[in-house]
Parts: sequence; C-alpha cells; structure tokens
Amino acid sequence: MKDQNNFQQIKEKWKQDVKKTEKRFPERKQTFTTSSEIEIDQLYTPTEPDITYTENLGFPGQFPYTRGIQPTMYRSRYWTMRQYAGFGSAEETNQRFRYLLNQGQTGLSVAFDLPTQIGYDSDDPMAEGEVGKVGVAIDSLADMEQLFDQIPLDQVSTSMTINAPASILLAMYIAVGEKQGVSPEKLTGTIQNDILKEYIARGTYIYPPKPSMRLITDIFGYCHEHLPKFNTISISGYHIREAGSTAVQEVAFTIANGMAYVDAAIESGLEVDQFAPRLAFFFNAHNQFFEEAAKFRAARRIWAKIMKDHYKAENPKSWKLRFHTQTGGSTLTAQQPDNNIVRVTVQALSAVMGGTQSLHTNSRDEALALPTEDSARIALRTQQIIAQESGVADTIDPLGGSHYVEALTDEIETEVNKYLERIRELGGAVQAVEEGFMQREIHQTAYEAQKRIESNEDIVVGLNEYKLEEEVNPDLLRVDEALEAGQINKTQEIRHTRDAAVVERCLAELRQAAKANDNVMPHIVEAVKVYATVGEIANVLREEFGEYTGM
Amino acid sequence: MKPIRVLIAKPGLDGHDRGALIIAQALRDHGMEVIYTGLRQSPVQIARAAVQEDVDVIGLSSLSGAHNSLFPKVVAALEKEGASDIPVIGGGVIPAEDIPNLEAQGVKKIFTSGAPTDATAIYIKQLMNRETRSAPGKVSHIGIAVENIEQSLAFYQHTLGLEVEAVEEVTSEQVRVAFLPIGETRIELLEPLSDESPIRKFISKKGEGIHHIALEVNDISKRLQQYQEEGIPLINTEPKQGAHDSQIAFLHPKASGGVLFELTNPKGEQ
Repeated sequence: MKDQNNFQQIKEKWKQDVKKTEKRFPERKQTFTTSSEIEIDQLYTPTEPDITYTENLGFPGQFPYTRGIQPTMYRSRYWTMRQYAGFGSAEETNQRFRYLLNQGQTGLSVAFDLPTQIGYDSDDPMAEGEVGKVGVAIDSLADMEQLFDQIPLDQVSTSMTINAPASILLAMYIAVGEKQGVSPEKLTGTIQNDILKEYIARGTYIYPPKPSMRLITDIFGYCHEHLPKFNTISISGYHIREAGSTAVQEVAFTIANGMAYVDAAIESGLEVDQFAPRLAFFFNAHNQFFEEAAKFRAARRIWAKIMKDHYKAENPKSWKLRFHTQTGGSTLTAQQPDNNIVRVTVQALSAVMGGTQSLHTNSRDEALALPTEDSARIALRTQQIIAQESGVADTIDPLGGSHYVEALTDEIETEVNKYLERIRELGGAVQAVEEGFMQREIHQTAYEAQKRIESNEDIVVGLNEYKLEEEVNPDLLRVDEALEAGQINKTQEIRHTRDAAVVERCLAELRQAAKANDNVMPHIVEAVKVYATVGEIANVLREEFGEYTGM
Repeated sequence: MKPIRVLIAKPGLDGHDRGALIIAQALRDHGMEVIYTGLRQSPVQIARAAVQEDVDVIGLSSLSGAHNSLFPKVVAALEKEGASDIPVIGGGVIPAEDIPNLEAQGVKKIFTSGAPTDATAIYIKQLMNRETRSAPGKVSHIGIAVENIEQSLAFYQHTLGLEVEAVEEVTSEQVRVAFLPIGETRIELLEPLSDESPIRKFISKKGEGIHHIALEVNDISKRLQQYQEEGIPLINTEPKQGAHDSQIAFLHPKASGGVLFELTNPKGEQ
C-alpha cells in the first residue's frame, strides 16, 4: 500500500513537470493516435506498480532517469539530428554544412582532419598525405571564419570532434562568434574533449595523461564562467565500441572515464554542481537492437546513481546523463554497401528507443570512403522517416516494462558495476588506461569477434554469407589531392600577413601560464585572435607538457 | 625452420588500430614473429624499423584515406635503405579503384575491409615460400587407368613401340602397375586389383584414361608442409612409400582445376 502511495506521489510530480515542460516545448500534436484511431498516451506504466518499478524505473525526467531525462521526451521535440561532416577545405565543408541545414538537419557536427586533431599545421612534415582527408583542415582562425561563413552561431549548436587540441578549437569558435557579434555566453554546442578514450581507442592524443587532464579541467573552469551553455566534454564510448568492445565494456569504460573527469575537476577546486550539468556523453548503436536500447537505459541509471550517491551532487541536472548517439561504423560492410542503410535504420531505432538526445546516422558508403552527398542525404532521411513516419516517438520509452528489456537493463547495470569496481581497484580510469587494462580487454573481445566471423559462427550478411560474385563499385567521394598544397599556401600566407610580434607575445604568455599552472584558456583565446595557428599553440604546450608516445 | 618475421605498421596520423592489432595477433597465431610499430610512423621510420628488425615482410594499415600518398612512400623509403627486397602489403579502408595504382607503385597486395585474417597469413606464407621454392625437375610419369594391363599393352608396345620396364603390385593401393620409359619420363599403366582400389572407382566414374601426372621434386616433406600452411588442398599431408623406395603424395584436384598431381621424390634425394 505504501508503494502504491509513493507511485501516486511521483506520478503527480511527473505530471507537474510535464505541465512546466509543455509551456516551453508544447507537444508536437494535440492528440497522438495510431492508424486505427487508438489514442496514444504520453507514458504507459504498470497497473499494479511495485517498489521495483518506482525505484528502478520511475518516471521520465525523474531520478534515476531509466525512462528518459525529460518529462515529455519526443512528444515535445524530436532528438537533434546531427550529422558529422567535414572534408577537404573550410569552403567545401561550409557548403556541405549549409546543404545539410537546408535539408532539415538541426545541429552541426564538425569533423576535423587528423593533423588538426593532433595539433599539426598543414605544412608540418607530420601532416603529409593527411590534410583534409578525414575532416576539414583548420590551421588558423581564417579557416574557422570560412567554415562558419553565413552560419549564425547564435542559431545553431555545433558539436566539434576535437580532443587533445579542444581548447584551441573552442577558442577559435569563441573568436568567430565574437566576429559575428555573438557573445560567448550565447554559444551552444559540444566539444568532445575526452582524452582518456584517445589513449584507449582512438589515437589522437598529444600530451601525456596528467597535463591532458589539466587542460580539460581548465576548459571546465573557463566555460563555467564564460560559456555556461556549452557542453565542455562529450565522454565517449563510441570509439571504445568501434575498437571492438562489447556493449557492457562500452558503458563501463565510458562511465569510468567520466568519473575520472569528475574527480579531476573536483581536485582542481570546482564544485561538482558547477560543471556536472555540462557533461555530455556519446555512445554507439550497434545491431543487437534490444541490448542496445537497454544499454542506454542502464547507462542513464548508473550515472544518475553515481552522481547523486557517490559525488553527492545536489542539482538534478548533474544527475542526468545526456547523450549523443552515432550508429556503428564498424558494423558496416564494404560488400553490398546498400545493405548498410538497413543496418543503420535498426541501429538508429535502438538509439531512439534508448532515449538519445541527438543522433548521427552513418552513410552506406562509410566502409569505403567519406560519404557522398547522396549517401549523406539518405542517412539523414533515415532519421526523418523514423521520426515522422514510424510513430515510435509518440509515446515515451515504449520498451519500458518489457520483461526482456528490463532484465537486460538490470543485467547490464550489474556487469558494468563489476567493471567499475575492478577499475576502482586498479586506482581509477587514468591508472587503468596507463596500464593498458581497457586496451587489453577491448582487443581480446575484438579478436574473438573476428574469429567468430571467420568461422561463420557469426553471420554478417554479404560478408561471410549471401555473398555476391561481382561487387559493384559505388561512386565514392574523393578528396582532391591538390588540396594539401592549397591549404599549405593559405597558412603560409597568414603567417606572413599577421602581426608577428603580437603572436610571439601571446605564445610567450601562454607558455608562462602553462608553466605557472594558471588556466591556459584565456591565453589560447588571445592567441587564436591574432591568428596564431593550431600547430604553433599545440607546440608551445608540447614543449611544456611533453608528448605521449603510446604504450 | 626460422619463423617469418613481420612488421605491422601504421603510417600517417590515423589512430584506428583495431585492424592492425587483429592482424598482428592472427599472424602470431600462424607462428610468425610480429613487430607492431604503434601509431603515427613516417614512411622513413617504417623502412628503418623493417631493416633494423630484419623482417621478411611489411604490412601497412591505413583507414584515413592517406594510403595513395603514404604506401608508395614506404616502398620508396625501403629502396633508399637498400631493402627493396622486403615486400610491402597493405590493408584498411581502400577503395577497389585505388588498388591497381598502389600495385603499380610496388605494393605487392592490398587486403580490403572484410578480408579474413587467414587469407593474409596464407598470402604471406606463399610469398615467403615462393622465394625459396624450386620448380619440380621433370614429369616423372603419367598415370593411365586401365581395366587390364595385358590388354592395353598391345597399343603401347606394338603401336607406339615402347618397352615395359617392370610390372609390380602395390598392395597398399590395390593396384598393379606397368612402367614404360619414354625419354626422361615414363608412362604408368594402373590396373585395379579389387573393388576397393581407387583406380576401380576412377574407372567406374570416368572410364579408362589419364588418371594423374607425377612431378619429380626433391623437397617433398618441406613442400607438403608449406602447401598445408598455405591452405593448398592435399590428399596426402605426409609423404608415403611409393615404387622404387620413392616418397610420394597426391595433391587434391581442387588445387589445380581438376588435374590430379602426384609429387614423387626419388630415393635418397630428400
């Protein structure tokens, strides 16, 4: 009877939350109905709720957020459709961005080329062959201005996949905003800024772990003061999964990394509620539909408990795990690439069932090259079809209460907690990464998965079963090899025309701040404004912090 | 036998090494010694590492689209180091249309996404074995299945004018054989001794006619071991006793587009 009362109580609270939310974000329709005119409720709950329900699931927008972080979820607003894009020069990428916005995309996501991601200018010998290949080449503020030309930064939110040099690219974004007359506190978006998973799985590290963690907490501190609406980190399981982990390992290692950032920020003197509301997450969606949906639900619950119980955060915004999802690149096949559209659809649907805040759907040709415009459009259309035609967004957490999905959610939580305990025993995520613990676990899983495919124990359609004798080679996007030379010229031109003395002074001040353990962010902002390049700034920090050379 | 040494290398700035690590482990499982360079190696660094580590082959991995520029530079760097004899193979996200160009610039072979690790391992073994393998010396004999040796001999002896060297029974194979020398080689007539004889089965299925071609080699044991590693289909994985104390083994006709080949190693030449 007591449980029943509690249920009614939290249900009342949820209804109030819904009313509040609806004032800001009204529901998409007056009433939602199925094709048979059956009215669809906002939320379905058990007829005889017990304590397990109220404690483990509760209501959307309420702790522990198993059913979602907002009271109305997609009844008010769909997830943000955010396609990761970038290649070649800033001009080309700017055109693709404007194309995607015209096609109904609702947020931007910038892919930078590898030299930018590793803090080398395009004319650095280390950049040879890589300029503009996997993303856009950015050397100086001039490139960044071109990248966002005619895109008002107060009207779009921008996600930037940038880690080791995150502070530099964020500084450039701030500077472009100022040139457009948009003040920093109005900027919205996300920087990935998650260095731990770079050591584990993605490889675009520059500095050793300790100074890298300091750069991250410098950003937390700076953004708390100047960019209150900007997500300062996107703690990423995506690449851990791509490197071959299981769904459980993806969540476990991501949350362990998240805890390391929280620990570092607290150690640097910040209060948990000062930065925790701006932490964001980034997960993968692979093919096993129910496990993936359950994974997202479990991750939310685990994080909420950790933030509330372990870190004693008081602001509910600190408890909410907000996440972006990208469908699984490593699940795509180079063989019969059109089949990938179907894989992406299943994966995207699992992310929506899991309550994602934003979504990138991969293009069919990504096992072969960067997507063509046609492929990128189909990928976006896939999301639009799920949103507008399938009806899955018309009720909140439609899988909630499924015996299978709830059991999977519980089981994933248990297994993740076992890993978190092991990592705690190793001395935390930074220590575990330095010892290669996560790397070894992931590699072992990846190797076993490969063996299962090669022995046909696991079937991958079109790869080891249902093969075609003759594969048709689709038209692929080619990055112009002449681009590298053009970008080098442009950057060298900038070096000749800027005020060299001012650049020198700014870099010297940055060096001083790095040595003195002052927050480096304000100095980086000053340096980019006078057209100091990504490579020059990164090199100052290389000299001060040293370089990480791998395991 | 000395294990094959392989350098797995990541040229350029690409950080995706799931594939490189899996290949490295798979090759180790195939008995090779594998050195992995780690990320972000320049072509010159890779060539020098290959020379220093005295490797037999280099495997490059790139998923960032920089292969067209970087793979040929590794080949060129090897030449500069005086090590152009080290073959370079590659893999990663590489569109099919780029492969001819890479091969023209000296990359031996490209394995693209979805290629089984065994295929890579087998290819490397073939590559290594080919360098040391000598061709069979001659056709030792041509085996012809007949119902009855005496009845068939008329054609060989009288029409062709060949002479019978010997007639023997090989009970293990349930056959009787007649050898007729012709130049440096022989014709071997094979007559089934029972219904269990492979020759009986051959005749009931295909009728009388050419049964197999025997090639003379002087390295039968090593060759069979290599073929086995390379995944060449074999009927006999170990040499067995043949006529005149020779060692023989049959390859599976699947290996050679339907022709049954026998390897024969004369006595005392192993």
